[in-house]
Amino acid sequence: MLPADLFRAPGRPGGVKGVVTSSRRTTLGGLLTLVLFGASGGCDSARGGAPIEDGRLQGRIAITGSSTVAPLVGEIARRFEEEYPAVRIDVQTGGTSRGIADVRREIAEIGMVSRVLRPEEADLLNHAIAVDGIAFIVHSKNPVPALTHEEIVGIFTGETRRWSEVGGGDREITVVNKADGRATLELFLSHFELRGEEVRPSVIIGDNQQGIRTVATSPDAVAYVSIGTASFESSRGTAIRLLPVDGVDPTLEALRDGTYPLTRPLNLVSRADSNLLVEAFLAYAASAEVHDLVEAQYFVPPVE
Amino acid sequence: MPDPSVSPLPSLSEHRVDWPDRAVASLVWLVALLVTGSLLWIVGDLARHGAPELSWSFLTDSPRDAGRAGGILPVVVSTLMILGICLAVSLPMDVGTAIFLAEFTRTGGLLAHFVRRSLDVLAGVPSIVFGLFGNAFFSIYLGMGFSILSGGLTLACMVLPILIRSTEEGFRSVPDEYRKAAAALGLSQPATLWQILLPVATPGLVVGLILGVGRALAETAALLFTSGYVARMPSSVLDSGRTLSIHIYDLAMNVPGGESNAYTTALVLITLLLMINVLTFWIADRWLHRGITHR
Repeated sequence: MLPADLFRAPGRPGGVKGVVTSSRRTTLGGLLTLVLFGASGGCDSARGGAPIEDGRLQGRIAITGSSTVAPLVGEIARRFEEEYPAVRIDVQTGGTSRGIADVRREIAEIGMVSRVLRPEEADLLNHAIAVDGIAFIVHSKNPVPALTHEEIVGIFTGETRRWSEVGGGDREITVVNKADGRATLELFLSHFELRGEEVRPSVIIGDNQQGIRTVATSPDAVAYVSIGTASFESSRGTAIRLLPVDGVDPTLEALRDGTYPLTRPLNLVSRADSNLLVEAFLAYAASAEVHDLVEAQYFVPPVE
Repeated sequence: MPDPSVSPLPSLSEHRVDWPDRAVASLVWLVALLVTGSLLWIVGDLARHGAPELSWSFLTDSPRDAGRAGGILPVVVSTLMILGICLAVSLPMDVGTAIFLAEFTRTGGLLAHFVRRSLDVLAGVPSIVFGLFGNAFFSIYLGMGFSILSGGLTLACMVLPILIRSTEEGFRSVPDEYRKAAAALGLSQPATLWQILLPVATPGLVVGLILGVGRALAETAALLFTSGYVARMPSSVLDSGRTLSIHIYDLAMNVPGGESNAYTTALVLITLLLMINVLTFWIADRWLHRGITHR
């Protein structure tokens, strides 16, 4: 495979030459064959090989999925790599759905999923690494004290149009909803037993930070975002306020003791035929050794 | 009988002409000031938010704590590698195609017309489409996976139309007399191209290059699917690597408390862009001096 060597920088650290290095060479060689001789057929997925050499873990893991979980898993992966220098873990993002699809298509070994697995996803193994909750936020100048379950349903279905109907000022409500396919939207809909088309949003957002920025700049907006992110932003002076839901304040403590109703697990999923290296990483990511990393990303370690 | 106290005709007409003239002039000035002002505003805002965190260690460290702490060295290296691959692939193709379009095809020819229209359509295609194509073709079908190579090739596909169209304009702006004079002197076609046409067409190439590099450096959507998100120092072009734009996007969107480093990274990105632009002008200038026009 001489041509493939041209693309590889010399002086790669020893020991890293593992499973996928060789498989990449094969695929690149395959690509050249493909181009030169017009042979048909895709790349060979020759992943595998021995994940343990001389009693040390080695090889490469590809992880894709939820952008909410990615920064946390990136940090866990960095610590794992420090402990096992012959291991490389590549974390990519693209959303929960893509994480699941990539694991099924064997493009990735592990998927990041920021919701409960559905029954039709039972072919994948689930490993909870953290818990996140969603909080309802309003602008800090909004006088509304709290929202009940029914009031939230009313606001998001468009039946309640003015803040005065739920104890606020006489102003029109700006409803901020999450984009389709976002795990937060799915959690919101299933908790309030709503269908996607019943929600009447004024603004549609993608990420948590975007939701927080939208609410902080529009005094009549209401949105739901990750509790960790929202409490961090509100503690550093961003103009938002977290509302209690059904009388429970959205705090990390309420998440931890399980009293807050709107929570979701942050999971890693894998195929049943994972190798030892993948299993070792999954066990590590769910262990107490990484709880400080979970908390540093404003999530809560999973309840035992 | 005209009233002698009414001002004479010349001054009246002068007044009438003066007013729209001034209005147009001030409007043009205002627009020009607005454009310059908005650039200064953006750079000033970035400098104000980003400069406090900017330090030598920020440029030489790896990101820590999901990018909130540490530096951006691997990100800068990945960005330069992706840009390098993109330009190494697209520049030769660009100059070749532009020479073909401007020098080897008749005006109004069917093939040239078809190539030009396809390039114009490609230049307007949203980058996410190139990203999906790059993911499906380079990353999955050709088995490059998430890699700097795959990202660079995807970017090359994306900037090629802009580069070619602008380089072609450069060649078209060369007066026909130059070609005729070269032919009269008996210069061969390669010599004419290399010695006369290419140096004179350089300004077009430079404009294309600056637009292309700008678009490539700004890209996030296409690269999330091809070069990926890994913020580790790449050891080869087959490693996944995160670019500055993706780093900014991730810090601003996914990482609570990442704004200040997002600003600093943006400041580095815009400085890098300005440096590349100045370097491009400098190289082009030297190239021009080497050519026939300044000899």
